[in-house]
Amino acid sequence: MNWWIILAVVAVMLAARWRKAGMLAWAVAWLLGMWVAMRYGFVVPVPASVIKIYMGIVVLSLIAYVLTDKDRIAEFWGPIEAFVTEPRYRLLLAATVLLIPAAVAYQIYAGMTAIPNAPFFARTVHPAPPDSITVHGSELALGTADNPYRELEETSPEEFEQRLENGRKIYFQNCFYCHGDLMGGAGMYAHALNPIPTNFQDPGTIAMFREAFLFWRISKGAPGLPEEGGPWQSAMPAWESFLTEEEMWDVIIFLYDFTDYKPRAVEMH
Amino acid sequence: MCGTSYLRVALVLLVLPVAAQAQDATDELGQQVYTKWCAHCHGEEGDGNGVAASRLKPLPRDFTSGKYKIRMTTTGNIPTDQDLTDAIRRGLYGTSMPAFTAAYLSDAEVAAVVGYIKSFSDWFEDPERQNPETITIPDPPPYDPEAARTTGRQVYEETGCARCHGELGRGDGPSAPTLVDDWGNNIKVADLTMPWTFRGGGTRRDIFRSMSTGFYGTPMPGFHDNLGATPEESQQRMWAIVDYMLSLAGGPMEEGETPYANVLRSVPFGDEIDLENAELFAEAPPATFPLFGQIVEPGRNFYPSAVAVTAQAVHSESEIAFRLTWNDMRAETGGTNGPDLIAPKWDEHLAEIGQAGAASGDTDEGGDFWGEEATEDDEGGDFWGAEEEEAADEGGGDFWGEEAAEEDADGDDFWGEEDGAEEAPLSGTLDTEFSDAFALQFPLQKPEGVRQPYFLFGDAQNPVDLWFVDLAKPSKTVRYQGRGSAAMSPAEGGEDVEVVAGYDQGEWSVIFKRKRKSRGGLSFDEDSFLPIAFSVWDGFNRERGNKRGLSSWYQVYVEPSERPSPVGPMVRAGATVLGLELLFIALVRRRKGKKNS
Repeated sequence: MNWWIILAVVAVMLAARWRKAGMLAWAVAWLLGMWVAMRYGFVVPVPASVIKIYMGIVVLSLIAYVLTDKDRIAEFWGPIEAFVTEPRYRLLLAATVLLIPAAVAYQIYAGMTAIPNAPFFARTVHPAPPDSITVHGSELALGTADNPYRELEETSPEEFEQRLENGRKIYFQNCFYCHGDLMGGAGMYAHALNPIPTNFQDPGTIAMFREAFLFWRISKGAPGLPEEGGPWQSAMPAWESFLTEEEMWDVIIFLYDFTDYKPRAVEMH
Repeated sequence: MCGTSYLRVALVLLVLPVAAQAQDATDELGQQVYTKWCAHCHGEEGDGNGVAASRLKPLPRDFTSGKYKIRMTTTGNIPTDQDLTDAIRRGLYGTSMPAFTAAYLSDAEVAAVVGYIKSFSDWFEDPERQNPETITIPDPPPYDPEAARTTGRQVYEETGCARCHGELGRGDGPSAPTLVDDWGNNIKVADLTMPWTFRGGGTRRDIFRSMSTGFYGTPMPGFHDNLGATPEESQQRMWAIVDYMLSLAGGPMEEGETPYANVLRSVPFGDEIDLENAELFAEAPPATFPLFGQIVEPGRNFYPSAVAVTAQAVHSESEIAFRLTWNDMRAETGGTNGPDLIAPKWDEHLAEIGQAGAASGDTDEGGDFWGEEATEDDEGGDFWGAEEEEAADEGGGDFWGEEAAEEDADGDDFWGEEDGAEEAPLSGTLDTEFSDAFALQFPLQKPEGVRQPYFLFGDAQNPVDLWFVDLAKPSKTVRYQGRGSAAMSPAEGGEDVEVVAGYDQGEWSVIFKRKRKSRGGLSFDEDSFLPIAFSVWDGFNRERGNKRGLSSWYQVYVEPSERPSPVGPMVRAGATVLGLELLFIALVRRRKGKKNS
């Protein structure tokens, strides 16, 4: 959220309330305020289609709000009528009457001469995994499986340390080209990839998942994604063709260790 | 007096242990930072031999040498602490060295690790090497294309830059294939047409610095105060050559400008597409797309040669033509190449025989098979150098044929080979076993919705149409239908594709032409977007089959030759709105009049 934008919108609304703005000004303030909040209030841009739907709802609510009370209708209509009929507004009215058709014509011009946007595929970044996968001949139930070496952290720290080191080596011989030396998703090939490689430092990625989810993503790669994940465009290899199961679990241990995140535990029901 | 001396001694005695303790803490912090963030590439011992080193070109810096490429100190000198800090904070462009921003390392951590890195080389302790001479970069004058074209070009020629970097800066100078660094590794000369890939950065100040201090440890010398009779004249000529270099890249980049595009626009071109017409692409906007090494499927290419490909497209009523250019140090026009040939591939057969794990284990024993053995083996044996055709002949696709390649003195991946001093023909074209090659990739059918074929040569349900040209036979296109890289077959039916190709001054240029409409295949209809992707094989680097440089999917937009005029719709909409407004005003006024009367 861009809190300064949101605060500014709230401040304007409060000022309008305090100044006892007329019903027309109040409605316009709501319309503009909601649009600004939607359009500029979020760090990650809200899609134009969503804004359109949302603004439609705002307009309908404002209409309902004004029409349910006679005084509000009168308060809303008064300034409009005055603007259209009173001689002192004549110049402004003429300008408005000409400007609106000009703006409409410009919209049409811009729409017809712009180069259209390339088709965009809104992929699901973390699609739901299948119930089970088969890797190198052994079946793994993703709902309940866990990293078989995770417990070594408690039972045999030395062996765990070895696995961690092995994971580090595997990462820095295979994964870092794309996911980067810092695991920030900015590897030396990242600029050439679409979609961009996952940023493991982001709290919204591996920190949210169980290790079995990572094992699925690593072993099956892009070709193992469901359709909504865009299996045709991601460059994530199916690592089962290069790595053993052990190596994949080792590199998962390293991913969490390097980023200081903890995997989510299996939820027991 | 005596009293104050005692006091001093007492003070020193008190302060010394505290200072020593602080130093210990810094050393420890430096080591911690190094172990977590640096050791996997630069090695626990700082010798540049970390676990990642064997899969990196350029290789990670060897800190034990004390030689650093990017410095503000003059040639032969150790870098300043600020130089090392800058390298850590900015990273080295075009390499795996990342920018360690404040989100990763604090100033104290960077300072500590700089100290730790220096401890690997005794040069930093050597009294004779202290206080190295540093350069200052004067405020850059405005970019001057005129001085670039005259003085800059002249200095470029006089200084002999073209010997390595090529006449037009494309990295194709006659010496380029023979360059080695102080450690004996083959190195690739910088392509001056792509400043954003310069290790030390591509701004005018960056280039001024690199030109002044050189790249220690490589054949690139420093020209500080050396380009003119006086330091002032030298600086002036330095800026001229900096600007000349940038002019080779099409001028300095604007703030926020990116070198790469997402969409290629095909523009209308008259009635006839004549491939001999030199003006064919004069008005077509170029779009540059980045390439990366194919590391997704077996036959991986960790050190691809080509970094980017530039595309242009034009179309007429009936035909469409694509022009693709990329820089290549040398044209390999002998031998063969093909997307369906088996790449020199060590890892694939390991995976196939289930030994991938064992192979990684091997690397523990000091022998890292990716580049290491190649660089250690003076005989030039290399796993990359699998002569797969021989292997196929001998054993019907026996992957252990690779071992034979170990003893094959010719079997090297160029960039993975140590002995680069080997005499090689110096320029022009070369007869080799591996030819250069290029392929343009489209979906075989127009995609329904957003579903595209798998970007690596398609998938079983969604095949691709590959327009392949083996540059040993540059006038012949071979079309493949790809259903995955293991399922490439010659295309059946569909429209023929014409091709002309040529190599000039370090640049390959390939032009394809096809009918726009296709019955049963992909049609390049006006006002439509179509997926497009690229593959480049560099024969010099022994790239073949899946071992190649490739791109993700991008889009080609076929611009309509005639756009409907917007004037009619504009006038109609404007008039309608105006009419409605006047009607509204009239109604309101009438209502008001009635109310009043």
